[in-house]
Amino acid sequence: MLDITKLLEEIKASPYEEVVIRAPHTGLVHFADVAEGTRVVGPTGMWKEIPGTRIATMEREHNPKPIVAHEKGVISKVHTELEGRFVEAGTPLVHLRHFLSKDEVLGIILKKALYLFNAPERAKYYFAPDADKKIKASGPKAVTVHDGQELFIMSRMKREAALNYSGPEGVIYAVYFQHNENVDAGAPLIGVCPPDQVGLIEDVVIRVQTEWIEQD
Amino acid sequence: MHTKDHKVLVANRGEIAIRIVQACLKLGLEFVCVYTAEDAASGHVRIAREKGGEKSLYRIASYQDANELLAVADDSGATAIHPGYGFFAEDYRFARRVAQRENKLIFIGPSWRVIRELGDKINTKRLARSLGVPTVPGSDKPIYDEMEAEKVARQLFEFQEEQGIERPLVLVKASAGGGGMGIEEVYDIDLFKSVYRRIRNYSLRQFSDEGVLIEQRVLDFNHLEVQVVSDRSGKNPVHFGTRNCSIQSTGLQKRLEIAPGFDPSALQYSFDAQKVLDDITEHSLAMARKVGYDNVGTWEWIVTRDGRPFLMEVNTRIQVENGVSAMISRIRGEKGVDLISEQIRIGLGEPLGYTQQDVTFEGVGIEYRLIAENPDNKFTPWVGCIEQFGWEQEDWFQMHTHVPTDMPYDIPTEFDPNLALAIIWGKDLAHVKERGIEFLDKLRLEGANKAGEALKSNVNFLRAKTPVILKF
Repeated sequence: MLDITKLLEEIKASPYEEVVIRAPHTGLVHFADVAEGTRVVGPTGMWKEIPGTRIATMEREHNPKPIVAHEKGVISKVHTELEGRFVEAGTPLVHLRHFLSKDEVLGIILKKALYLFNAPERAKYYFAPDADKKIKASGPKAVTVHDGQELFIMSRMKREAALNYSGPEGVIYAVYFQHNENVDAGAPLIGVCPPDQVGLIEDVVIRVQTEWIEQD
Repeated sequence: MHTKDHKVLVANRGEIAIRIVQACLKLGLEFVCVYTAEDAASGHVRIAREKGGEKSLYRIASYQDANELLAVADDSGATAIHPGYGFFAEDYRFARRVAQRENKLIFIGPSWRVIRELGDKINTKRLARSLGVPTVPGSDKPIYDEMEAEKVARQLFEFQEEQGIERPLVLVKASAGGGGMGIEEVYDIDLFKSVYRRIRNYSLRQFSDEGVLIEQRVLDFNHLEVQVVSDRSGKNPVHFGTRNCSIQSTGLQKRLEIAPGFDPSALQYSFDAQKVLDDITEHSLAMARKVGYDNVGTWEWIVTRDGRPFLMEVNTRIQVENGVSAMISRIRGEKGVDLISEQIRIGLGEPLGYTQQDVTFEGVGIEYRLIAENPDNKFTPWVGCIEQFGWEQEDWFQMHTHVPTDMPYDIPTEFDPNLALAIIWGKDLAHVKERGIEFLDKLRLEGANKAGEALKSNVNFLRAKTPVILKF
């Protein structure tokens, strides 16, 4: 049985994670007005339409692109030695100490409470057309899965294969993979909530919603 | 600008990137390579580091991001881009951008107008028909509409029934696809819609384009190719002979390529094989002259059992199997033909320097594509770590590989599972078959995946197919 109180206490003891913001591609780096200790925010607004704090600008092909924070937090290190230099893709630019939000804490605890169906191999995953249609229309919770159901398309080396779900029957509560992104072997694809666990899951949601205080 | 003053950006990975670097070294040109995080252990990164140092290597986000390549080209001072095969090799928009941007670079490949004209399978068909070159029946534009697709398929079924074909069959292809990916066969018009939708969705996911082609599927055929080489004048194309690429995986990807395309001196054919070879080279050169073809390219043909050739498409790039043609070609009697360095040389503007009379052929060549895959299960790629990979080098074969032979190598899942190309030469068909088998017998290729299962490869498949090559 999941001990929600204990899990919550553990997370409260260390309520942040270290995030490294890397150069998404090659280009010339110009840092914005940020330094160690600067507080930054991720995208805000009802539709997340207001971008996060600008951390740097990267320019390639005469095309400057703002590099913004995707989470809120405090900057713990800026690689100022890269200012004005051409960097390779993946070069670390800024380190951020990010305080966990309610949704993230919920995600962490749910990952322990839900039945996780894992990727059998490193590949890109897509939902099979039937499930995909339902999810696009009404979200993942609209889809009930059962053992043996053809649920995914697994794509690697440009070849595609169907993948069947195996595990208890239930609704898809969480989706952990993203469109066109590789998933490592063993990493979870979806979290499924079996009918007998609904009570527990709802309890987790309520507890986190009421007990977690977000830091600004 | 003198050819030697150029610096070439190698905009590709793996085996072809290595070949381009080697060709640059041979021509005395500077080069710069790119790689992605997944590819850090690839052989092309190693050779670039060894021969050019850290300054000749850039880590980029993706091989398919044009901005990455051009930004690296500028930062490194490159003056030309070699796209290899795949990725941007047949993308006329990329070729045009390279040639027309503020800091102009040379695209080592045909000029963008030629790629646009021939890169489109449909346009190629129209051009071929205008020159009286036979083509495969089917749609003459990519189809985006389901009703229209069904109409074309229905017409093709009816056409085949009229021809007296017992079991008519149409082929549904992703218009933007290539390399055998995104092709399915349909025997029954009632199943057409579901196949059409599957290919359309696949094409949208993999190539961001929904266009689908519908063609008559010719069964019982041989797949032949003509290697064309022409300099920037576009006026004097020469051919480097024919290849036979009929032995393919179930997914219609080539596994063995043989040059020349048929061997009437050693085998009996039910048609005049020499005439077919002469016809297809002549047709290919006629088309090349018509469009002013100005680099290397391949004209792909299918030849039916009764010896009728149909043009399938033109590949406006260097192909994987270029080496097997080079292996049997001689320029003014000299061995050691390298079509990649020829491509770079003429791409940078040098004249070809020889005519068709100077190109002769000697012997027979086989190219084996060594791939980690399971031929018994639809050629599914095998993923894991290669622990042992080695061979005893002889002067009658070449190995091209990006897989290191002195340390374990994890096969990245992002790309095609090709491991190596082995190109064997023999003085005649019997000789090359014997050498091919000897090579495969002595090859060491071992590995294991995370579950401890042994590596699966197509070596046995290649061995089983060697005795029947060029038979039709």
